[in-house]
Amino acid sequence: MKKIISMLAFVAMISVSFTACKDDDEEVAPDGTVSLEFTNIAGNKNVDTTGATTYTTALGQSFNIKRLKYYISNVKLLKNNAVVYTMPESYFLVDESKQSSTKLSIPKVPNGSYDRIQFMVGVDSARNVSGAQSGALTPSDMFWSWSTGYIFFKLEGQSTSAPGGNYVYHIAGFKDPNVASRTIDLTFNGASLVVEGSREAEIHVFADVLKVFNGGPATVDLSTTYNVMTTGANSMKIADNYADMFTFDHLHN
Amino acid sequence: MFSISCSDKDDNLTTTPPEVPVEFYIPDGFPAPVYNFQNNPITQDGFKLGRKLFYDPILSRDSTVACGSCHQQFVAFAHADHRFSHGIDNLVGSRNSPGLYNLAWFPNFMWDGGVNHIEVQPIAPINNPVEMDETLANAVFKLQRSSFYPQMFEKAFGSDSVTAQHMLRAMAQFMGAMISAGSKYDEYRAGNVTLTTSEMNGLNVFRAKCASCHTEPLLTDMQFRNNGLDSVFFTDAGRGHITQLPQDSGLFRVPSLRNVALTYPYMHDGRFYSLNNVLDHYSSGIVQSSTLDPLLTPGGMNLTAQEKTDIISFLYTLTDHKYIADKRFSEVQ
Repeated sequence: MKKIISMLAFVAMISVSFTACKDDDEEVAPDGTVSLEFTNIAGNKNVDTTGATTYTTALGQSFNIKRLKYYISNVKLLKNNAVVYTMPESYFLVDESKQSSTKLSIPKVPNGSYDRIQFMVGVDSARNVSGAQSGALTPSDMFWSWSTGYIFFKLEGQSTSAPGGNYVYHIAGFKDPNVASRTIDLTFNGASLVVEGSREAEIHVFADVLKVFNGGPATVDLSTTYNVMTTGANSMKIADNYADMFTFDHLHN
Repeated sequence: MFSISCSDKDDNLTTTPPEVPVEFYIPDGFPAPVYNFQNNPITQDGFKLGRKLFYDPILSRDSTVACGSCHQQFVAFAHADHRFSHGIDNLVGSRNSPGLYNLAWFPNFMWDGGVNHIEVQPIAPINNPVEMDETLANAVFKLQRSSFYPQMFEKAFGSDSVTAQHMLRAMAQFMGAMISAGSKYDEYRAGNVTLTTSEMNGLNVFRAKCASCHTEPLLTDMQFRNNGLDSVFFTDAGRGHITQLPQDSGLFRVPSLRNVALTYPYMHDGRFYSLNNVLDHYSSGIVQSSTLDPLLTPGGMNLTAQEKTDIISFLYTLTDHKYIADKRFSEVQ
């Protein structure tokens, strides 16, 4: 009897300890969600796509904005100079006229801390030759049907400097030497993005559309460059400028 | 008195006979296709949906223009007797509507190769303001609220939520299945028939003087070439419009000559109404330009009258009478 009791006690003790281990496993949180939020600005003003607001370029040319849309893709999170997480099927269409589209959801991010993010403005070349796609890559007004492929960046509006009064920039191209996609690499300026369980961490980024005209590489003159609807040098110039337009602002952990 | 009336019996059956199932195959001697239906295997339901869409003017803004309006089966899906086609609101296009066959073997589409994948080809005519002038989003909206399309999409793709991707994939199943390899020329290649003397002579001249661009068995090498139609290309730069490269100005894709006797008028702008006109051009009408194809000589190749007659005899053997009558590719009433 004593033997049986001690045996039972032994078995009970082992079961308890196994159960305790199981509890520890269940307490590890699931992967988290990160949201990448874009705030589109033009210099020190918000972007207003009604056309009511006037902005001024470095050349002193004034313009308004009627349409601003761009593809963001291939999002990656880094730590200590290494890519830790590459988001699969990472394609988003940011449309300033649809505010919900400026907040990108990156699901299933492994728990941990990150100090840097990379993403592409545009769509990688493979997806430009893969036929009919779905989701954010459903062909729409951001797809050229005459030379099939995605428009990576669309900016349209009015300008008194543009002959005819309108400017239209449809920036695209995925074949050398006219690849208009650009990879953006932003550190969090020493801060750490902490991803932990179901809490949503946020990355806030500014996209300064004025840089399209006054970017680092080149200044775009609306009086001569007001209609860009093919691949080529003007597209590349604007692409080099929008490569410069994103800045990290702050995190919410 | 009872009599068994055959017609009474027939009334109880479906009036259309069961269709011969469609399948993709590689005809003898054809190279491997470019489109392999990898993410879009052909099913009878997908094919039928694609066929329905091809012939349905609902894809145009005002429901008047369908793909089949400018791509007519009886002329191998070209536009009979039309240099340019009239689309919506009777607006006229700027390029000749080509015949459609063997599309799974094409690496790109349109005279300038601007479309890089069969699944996105329909977007171009659907969006074009002088053709169908419609957006994909609106086309999808119209299909979704139709009384029968959602069920067809359900059968084809497992969901009655119409999407642009499914619509385009169904059309690719239909278009990709349209194989033309049953002409007299094909029967000759298979050793089943002999050609007449004139046809045989024509084939020999063709192989000597035409086949470097109109390569067998597809009857095109799929390249972009300037065949000496003009000296300047302001109206239509062809391939140059797509690549923006000066060396591509005036180049157009070599068309497949299968069914050529049916698909007049000829060239990207339909300027030649007869095969005789075409051969006169190659014989003595080739115009010099900076991008004239290196295989062609300004002036021309000086074909004799007999050679022209024989070549034309041969070209007639490229007509696939079975293809243009194949009910599987016809509009279902």
